[in-house]
Amino acid sequence: MKRSDGRTEPSQLRAFAASQSLLNRADGSAKFSFGESTVIASVVGPAEVKIRDEKMDEATVEVIVRPAVGFPSTKDKLLERALRQTVEPTILAGMMPRTLIQIVVQIVQEDGNMLSTAVNAISLAMLDAGLPMNSLAAAVSAIIDQEGNLLLDPNSKELENASSVHTFAFDNTTSYNLLLSHCIGTYSQEQYLDCLDACKHASERVHSFIRTAVEKRIEKEYQQLQSS
Amino acid sequence: MTSDLKVVLPGDLISVNNESDESSMNVDDDVPLVRLGPGLTQVQEDIVSMKAGVLKHQDPGNKWWLESNQRRYVAATGESVIGIVVARLAEYYRVDIGGAQAAILPVLAFEGATKKNKPNLVPGTLVYARISLANKDMEPELQCFNPSSGKADGYGELKGGFVIRCSLGLCRRLLNPETPILRFLGEHFPFETAVGMNGRIWVNSENPQYTILLANAVKNSEYLSEAQCKAMVESLIDKL
Amino acid sequence: MTENQVASSFSFKIFERIKPDEYFRRFIEENVRPDGRALHTFRPTSIRQGAITTANGSAMVRIGGTTVVCGIKAEVAEPRVDRPKDGFLVPNVELSPICSANFRPGPPSEQAQVNAEIINQVLINCDIVDLSELCIDEGKAVWSLYADIVCINYDGNILDASFLALLCALKDLSLPTAEVLPSSIVQANSSMMIKPLKLRRLPISSTFCIFANPKVTLSDPTDSEENLSKETVSIILDTDGKILYVHKSGGAMCDAEMMKSCFSRANERAAELNELIERTSSQ
Repeated sequence: MKRSDGRTEPSQLRAFAASQSLLNRADGSAKFSFGESTVIASVVGPAEVKIRDEKMDEATVEVIVRPAVGFPSTKDKLLERALRQTVEPTILAGMMPRTLIQIVVQIVQEDGNMLSTAVNAISLAMLDAGLPMNSLAAAVSAIIDQEGNLLLDPNSKELENASSVHTFAFDNTTSYNLLLSHCIGTYSQEQYLDCLDACKHASERVHSFIRTAVEKRIEKEYQQLQSS
Repeated sequence: MTSDLKVVLPGDLISVNNESDESSMNVDDDVPLVRLGPGLTQVQEDIVSMKAGVLKHQDPGNKWWLESNQRRYVAATGESVIGIVVARLAEYYRVDIGGAQAAILPVLAFEGATKKNKPNLVPGTLVYARISLANKDMEPELQCFNPSSGKADGYGELKGGFVIRCSLGLCRRLLNPETPILRFLGEHFPFETAVGMNGRIWVNSENPQYTILLANAVKNSEYLSEAQCKAMVESLIDKL
Repeated sequence: MTENQVASSFSFKIFERIKPDEYFRRFIEENVRPDGRALHTFRPTSIRQGAITTANGSAMVRIGGTTVVCGIKAEVAEPRVDRPKDGFLVPNVELSPICSANFRPGPPSEQAQVNAEIINQVLINCDIVDLSELCIDEGKAVWSLYADIVCINYDGNILDASFLALLCALKDLSLPTAEVLPSSIVQANSSMMIKPLKLRRLPISSTFCIFANPKVTLSDPTDSEENLSKETVSIILDTDGKILYVHKSGGAMCDAEMMKSCFSRANERAAELNELIERTSSQ
């Protein structure tokens, strides 16, 4: 089977790319791409919180999504809430009461799967910021196309031909717990569970990519320091 | 040392008892004592990391901690910081130390300060202070004297000079008097520094040219090896 | 012993205010909820179609303490150039301070915007209505339906209530027959009313929330239950058992098994509500 962008396998993901600490003024930042889909995430915090948003026993997490073109719409609001609710459980917010964690997501290039790309970018940015966390989130999307095939990490062309679109995020504990499931279209329970399973396996690849990326950066910093 | 660098990510389980090391095992089959430092926490029976960093272990005392770098300061008792006075109130000053909340510096927390005789700091003043109290639920409190001696010991207002911002990791390294960058710079001209653990470094010398050079050299030294530091310092000096 | 004595010496109201988690946990351990429901029962639901006579279609839905009114206003609009036959259906959710002290006056809250967007996306992506049925004259005039979903009493689970209200209002919708005159004025004939929109499928939303300690799922959460649990699952099914929308987020407790049990509960709920809708519209 040949896919529109030259991939040969339905389970093949597009190439990942990531860079960390690319913004100077944020406490943490990262860029993540699935093929052409690219997102920059920045994290500021723990910082001072507005009294209105203050929570006495934990940090307030705020996610702001900036679209690639135009002004934010309600579509971005939906994305903001999904992202916040996905990454919030991974942050040890109880360690930073009465503070604000502000996450800004700037969409750079759109070619499908913005939700999953943004989850991965935020995870990397939070690592860079050094926020205390209990786990890490990684997300993958899949579609069921009109012919009933399950395709992982669809591009925008494939999305046009989708009968349902599924995005799942998992944490990095040994059981890979489900953090987010956002699925829309028409599908059966079996198809849902198939997608869940396929994305779970694929998310392990994203997790190991994030791990390698962070390991490489830290090792590089260390070696430069000790090369004397 | 560098060969077995162990990088961990949040959520990783840390096996602290795998090596049947005599020193870490108590007699009988008691659970050995483990001391956890920054970045590690206990979740039920397991030791779990909370940050991305390098896992470190010290045999005496069986201490484990994570060495990680970040830019945002989280106040901890006993650390020295550089703050900027942002407001003056009757009982205390509010000082920005780069954390989530501004810190409190009581007007009497200076060497020899009394109700009648106390320093007058205007907003914008730089102070070098020690965190006397830090708690996640409260604003941090500062003091400008060493509690063991009651003397200023260098704490107090910083006059003149220049403050640069850098990562917390670089600050920690600069506190080591053997840090190459400070040693190389010291070979060329005399200068003063105060390193705050909150990612701020104050530098001062007898003339502004040197101060600018100092600031640039320290800022750029974060990812440089000893040899590269030496080369950078020399090229900067040559350009003077 | 002493703890029990202390606990009985002040009223449960105070206990609820001081330790809401603990208060709630003690109920859940007995497999009952503070409002007397079992863990998986939905609150009593009632529908009244045609609640607003001045609207082209309307419905009022009550789910327990949550009351939502949906009114549809039809206007004539010019179609988009790339879709000359399609009309418009614009859902809007309003959560004003009138329904709960949680909401502030001013621009629509995030919750209101997100619910409206979910409804909008399900309408677009799940083949529920055929917008070309709203065509008056191809390329010239179409009906544009503004569905205002207003919450007048908020006690949790706004998505289920607003979705149900929208569906019933769409079923209630009747429009005058209209034509475009040669002078390109649209003339409506109010003596001839038609029901233009057919619902191709009946999407029924069911929401659950998940508690970590003890690990249980609760159907149809109230406001206070929503505040205590962060993890929620919303499932929209049609009456044939096809899934249209699944959203779960806010925690890491839910696994595939839990999702399956939510699916089967959502299926039961869909059958139940389908019957209720049938009964209401035949009246």
